[in-house]
Amino acid sequence: MCLQRTRSFRTQRHSVNRPPTPDAADDQEKQPSLHEIINIKMIESGEKERLMELLRERLLECGWKDEMQNLCRTFIKKEGRNNVTLDELIRAITPKGRASIPDSVKAELLQRIRTFLVSAAL
Amino acid sequence: MSMPNDDNASSQSQLASLFFEDLLDSIIVDVASEFHRISRLGLDRNLEDEEEELRLSAEARAKAADLSNSGEATSKYVVDIFGQTHPSVANEIFECMNCGRSIMAGRFAPHLEKCMGKGRKARLKATRSSTTAQNRYTRGSPGSAYTPYANSTSTNSTSTNRYSNGTYGIAGEGYSNGTFEEP
Repeated sequence: MCLQRTRSFRTQRHSVNRPPTPDAADDQEKQPSLHEIINIKMIESGEKERLMELLRERLLECGWKDEMQNLCRTFIKKEGRNNVTLDELIRAITPKGRASIPDSVKAELLQRIRTFLVSAAL
Repeated sequence: MSMPNDDNASSQSQLASLFFEDLLDSIIVDVASEFHRISRLGLDRNLEDEEEELRLSAEARAKAADLSNSGEATSKYVVDIFGQTHPSVANEIFECMNCGRSIMAGRFAPHLEKCMGKGRKARLKATRSSTTAQNRYTRGSPGSAYTPYANSTSTNSTSTNRYSNGTYGIAGEGYSNGTFEEP
């Protein structure tokens, strides 16, 4: 691989340094995982967006978002309004957020995802 | 796929859970970033109100701590958190907007009572004077939020040169709480 590139490296006069174009050999070494394939399919078909909107709507209806905002408020009050970074806030509320999902919402979303998986695997 | 059904189902569920967690994390990040922005920009009323309460209570506590530390029995000269002392009666002098007299700030409220007719003597003074037209006008007008006696407008009208508390005045100079002048 290097031999192919040394000449262009020395003599290139382009102002932009282009990264070496991937060889076909590179691609074959790492296969995209099943997870990644399905993720791409979900995004391309628009299903991921629909699922996000559905989840957002359900969480809003059941008051989860308000609970989260209260958690944020408490955390920010404790730490001081201007001392909190976004990262800290996210790290602080994520575990509680994951735990406080109502079961019905989770079940509904899982059902839809599974339906999609079945249809995508075909 | 040539996997038996059970394996398939469980790996599917695992995969589904993975995706669900993914979606959930994205939404949590959204909520957090939205709230972070609101709080940093100071747009959240709740946060601001609570901040102020905290500040006020901290100040009050500091004052109380100061008092107890200094051990003064009388609070004639109270030391505040900046170490400044204030006389117990505020002594700035300014002009009363109702009667035009120069009043000491600490005595302003009692002065206003007599001046504007909250007190007994002023009310007696008022009922004796003023025309019936003025009475009719003040009785029908809406009271402002500041005065507790806006409802008893009939007894509150003073002489023709002055306004009643917070009701719409008829004529005269000066101004009282939020009323407008008629030409």
